[in-house]
Amino acid sequence: MHKLSRGHRDKVQQFIAITGTSEKVALQALKASDWHLEGAFDIFYTQPQVKTVTDSRHLEELYNRYKDPYTDMILVDGITLLCNDLQVDPQDIVMLVLSWHMKAATMCEFSKQEFIGGLQSLGVDSLEKLRERIQYMHSELKDEQKFHEIYNFAFGWAKEKGQKSLALDTAIGMWQLLFAEKQWPLVDHWCHFLQVRHNKAIPSDTWSQLLEFVKTVDHALSNYDAEGAWPYLIDEFVEYLIENSIVQRNG
Amino acid sequence: MPNEINRWAHFVEYNIGNVAVRPQYCHVQNPGNMTMPECKIIDFEQGWEFMEKGITKLKNILEGLPEPQFSPEDYMMLYTTIYNMCRQKPPHDYSQQLYDKYRESIEEYITSKVLPSLREKHGEFMVRELVKRWSNHKIMLRWLARFFHYLERYFIAERSLPGLNEVGLTCFRDLVYKEINGKVRDAVISLIDQEREGEQIDRALLKNVLDIFVEIGMGQMDYYDNDFEAAMLKDTGAYYSRKASNWILEDSCPDYMLKAEECLKREKDRVSHYLHSSSEPKLLEKVQNELLSVYTNQLLEKEHSGCHALLRDDKVEDLSRMYRLFCRIPRGLDPVSSIFKQHVTAEGTALVKQAEDAASNKKAEKRDVVGLQEQVFVRKVIDLHDKYLAYVNDCFLNHSLFHKALKEAFEVFCNKGVAGSSSAELLATFCDNILKKGGSEKLSDEAIEETLEKVVKLLAYISDKDLFAEFYRKKLARRLLFDKSANDDHERSILTKLKQQCGGQFTSKMEGMVTDLTLARENQANFEEYLSSNSAANPGIDLTVTVLTTGFWPSYKSFDLNLPAEMVKCVEVFKEFYQTKTKHRKLTWIYSLGTCNINGKFEPKTMELIVTTYQASALLLFNASDRLSYSEIMTQLNLTDDDVVRLLHSLSCAKYKILEKEPNTKTISPTDYFEFNTKFTDKMRRIKIPLPPVDEKKKVIEDVDKDRRYAIDASIVRIMKSRKVLGHQQLVMECVEQLGRMFKPDFKAIKKRIEDLITRDYLERDKDNPNTFRYLA
Repeated sequence: MHKLSRGHRDKVQQFIAITGTSEKVALQALKASDWHLEGAFDIFYTQPQVKTVTDSRHLEELYNRYKDPYTDMILVDGITLLCNDLQVDPQDIVMLVLSWHMKAATMCEFSKQEFIGGLQSLGVDSLEKLRERIQYMHSELKDEQKFHEIYNFAFGWAKEKGQKSLALDTAIGMWQLLFAEKQWPLVDHWCHFLQVRHNKAIPSDTWSQLLEFVKTVDHALSNYDAEGAWPYLIDEFVEYLIENSIVQRNG
Repeated sequence: MPNEINRWAHFVEYNIGNVAVRPQYCHVQNPGNMTMPECKIIDFEQGWEFMEKGITKLKNILEGLPEPQFSPEDYMMLYTTIYNMCRQKPPHDYSQQLYDKYRESIEEYITSKVLPSLREKHGEFMVRELVKRWSNHKIMLRWLARFFHYLERYFIAERSLPGLNEVGLTCFRDLVYKEINGKVRDAVISLIDQEREGEQIDRALLKNVLDIFVEIGMGQMDYYDNDFEAAMLKDTGAYYSRKASNWILEDSCPDYMLKAEECLKREKDRVSHYLHSSSEPKLLEKVQNELLSVYTNQLLEKEHSGCHALLRDDKVEDLSRMYRLFCRIPRGLDPVSSIFKQHVTAEGTALVKQAEDAASNKKAEKRDVVGLQEQVFVRKVIDLHDKYLAYVNDCFLNHSLFHKALKEAFEVFCNKGVAGSSSAELLATFCDNILKKGGSEKLSDEAIEETLEKVVKLLAYISDKDLFAEFYRKKLARRLLFDKSANDDHERSILTKLKQQCGGQFTSKMEGMVTDLTLARENQANFEEYLSSNSAANPGIDLTVTVLTTGFWPSYKSFDLNLPAEMVKCVEVFKEFYQTKTKHRKLTWIYSLGTCNINGKFEPKTMELIVTTYQASALLLFNASDRLSYSEIMTQLNLTDDDVVRLLHSLSCAKYKILEKEPNTKTISPTDYFEFNTKFTDKMRRIKIPLPPVDEKKKVIEDVDKDRRYAIDASIVRIMKSRKVLGHQQLVMECVEQLGRMFKPDFKAIKKRIEDLITRDYLERDKDNPNTFRYLA
């Protein structure tokens, strides 16, 4: 999907959102209609063979297995059980990727729609299939574009409802999780810097710009521009790196 | 023919060499020894033979050989011969031949006489000979022009040939000048160099010989420029380069400049005496280049006499000279102004350091909020400014470069601050000291005006003008509310000055404050009238209320102090009175600014105590009970711990112990008990018990910081609203520009505000270019 242009990607997303189908199906339908959404819908709804391969009865059963007994949602206990079934550590980053696929609004929660819709779009209707799919998810992080989306998704997913910014502890946890994948050597310094010098919640802009920083500025900071529009926390981080001789800048 | 001769009447008189010719009406007859038959065809040989005789006679005269002068008749005859030879019908029209002969005879003279005499002479003598020969040549040409005049009028004019004079000059140029100009040039240059070395030379000779270079060009300056001036300039350059390389080593900067100025003066003089005026700018530029441009840095930075030393030793005259010399050189003043700036910056920084040291020494002994030292500091900065502004005006003739240097220098150290106080605060305090009653400076009205003027000037250098305004407002409020202002006129006058410099917005609140106080006086009179006509309402206590407009004044805490009943009555009465005036305004009482005069009935004697409203309320509690605990006082007054500690300390631990504290220690603790000290007395009948003010500095700075955040926000939104999409750097720049009049926002602060506005959805980053922001309407 990363090879698609922005406009095409949006259309795929839109298509999936409306039909609840998998990416693969969406791509097929859209390509067949020469990227006209309307046409793709026609193809999708008139040609049952392209339609979802998931069995909604199975999905319902799966959902009910994890559903909280008191509310119509999957909560912490359900997720723990799901992790057990999938043989995945709940702290594992694939849970973030899974949540991203399901478009989960909040960490440790799936609404019924998110869960069933998500599995549908993944084209999965059984634990076995999901387990298989999850193994593949780890590699999705290697995809630059997907990583970008997952990274930005993580902010909204991890923050407290109704808050505009992300609590520092949570942010640090997420960064360590995400940048372990990305292998950013300064991640520990960054987290330490935040705890010592900042110790406040992280605004969305800083969150998303950090990834830009990681992606564009090299480790020796040689192409860092102090006059640029980096959020001030990043500027201060660079100052901190230089002050503490963690990074030596030449020139 | 008569016609032709008639025209001669127009010539009045000729003075050619030593020969006077007065043309007359006459038919040519009796030409003495030069006879020429009339009115028959003259053949060429015959005619020319006659002409040649005349020309030889002319040549002899020029050579100084004994020869009778030309008589008018001779002259007439020569002219007539040419006339006749040209008027004959072809083939006897000899115009062309005569034209050629004209040149040939000049050439002949030059080769036979002029050149040999020049070749045998050298140096100055040759120059003299040339001048003489040139002048003779011109005489000859004028004579020949007369003889051959008829050629000029018809033959030459009809065929557009070079005129007689031109031909003559060309001959001289091609034969004499071309051969000799190099030698002449060298001789002239060597004469100039001799004169530079102080020898007397014949300036008239130089003037004359250089005129040849000009005249030979026949209107064009090429010969002068190429054959003389270029070499002269080159020599001048070499000459002064030699001189300068010695002087720069041997002489001090002032001596060097004296010499340079003298040299320039002499060269200018030289031009006026014998060089062509077009040489002046080139010559002076050359000399300036060798003497000044080449050695600018070496000269200005001479260790014991350079620009630094001149500034240090106040060598006003030398500095003026320096300005005069270097202002002529392109960008020549740059290094001077930069040294000037360095010097002023260093002097100012030294003042800052001095004040800093004094403050840190002082700190151990006594800690004033802003002490005398700082006061002295501002005074010194003003003096420094006076001094160097005078330099700019007098030595540097008001040149903008120096104004800029002065400004930049003052901006450097004026924004440093002393001992934890920003210069904005120092200036505000300085003003306060001048404007308040009993300030430390005793000055006449004029001196006060002058000082205020200067303080306002200094303010221009301070970037935190908003901070000054806030401090100033605080101090002004105290002066106005506690009746400490010495003179209303001065108060208004400084506001006018501030308004002129910083704009109306800057002073609008301050002006509002002054106006408020005037209104308050009227209001008080009305209130007293109201009380006298309404005796039922009279609370039995004299009450003065100053009604202030919210917004003009600094913000004060208004706590719900529990007033004593007597005072509550007062407040009610005033409220009622105020209702009669307006119903739409809400009064907020600021008790922390009030003062009370109360009578203390002590056993030795009754005394009048001047206290604050807080203190009075606390003291009046003891009318009801003899002994009160800290917490009882606190709850009954409804004040914070800080305030209670402060006021109890002033009543029980300071100079006047109106209350006895138990235990009797120097500090207030929440477990203390207090009792009215009935034994208290003092030699005065009326005492003022001061309540030390809370240190407001921190609050002022916080307030200003907060205001700045709003100002930056507003500015960013304003910019983005009009631009919609803008790059980060541009946005920051425009923001700094908009706000620069009031304060210098730091980049980090702007960044923080931008990020905050992003969080608040006023802006967003462009998705493709994170260095660009978009305005979200």
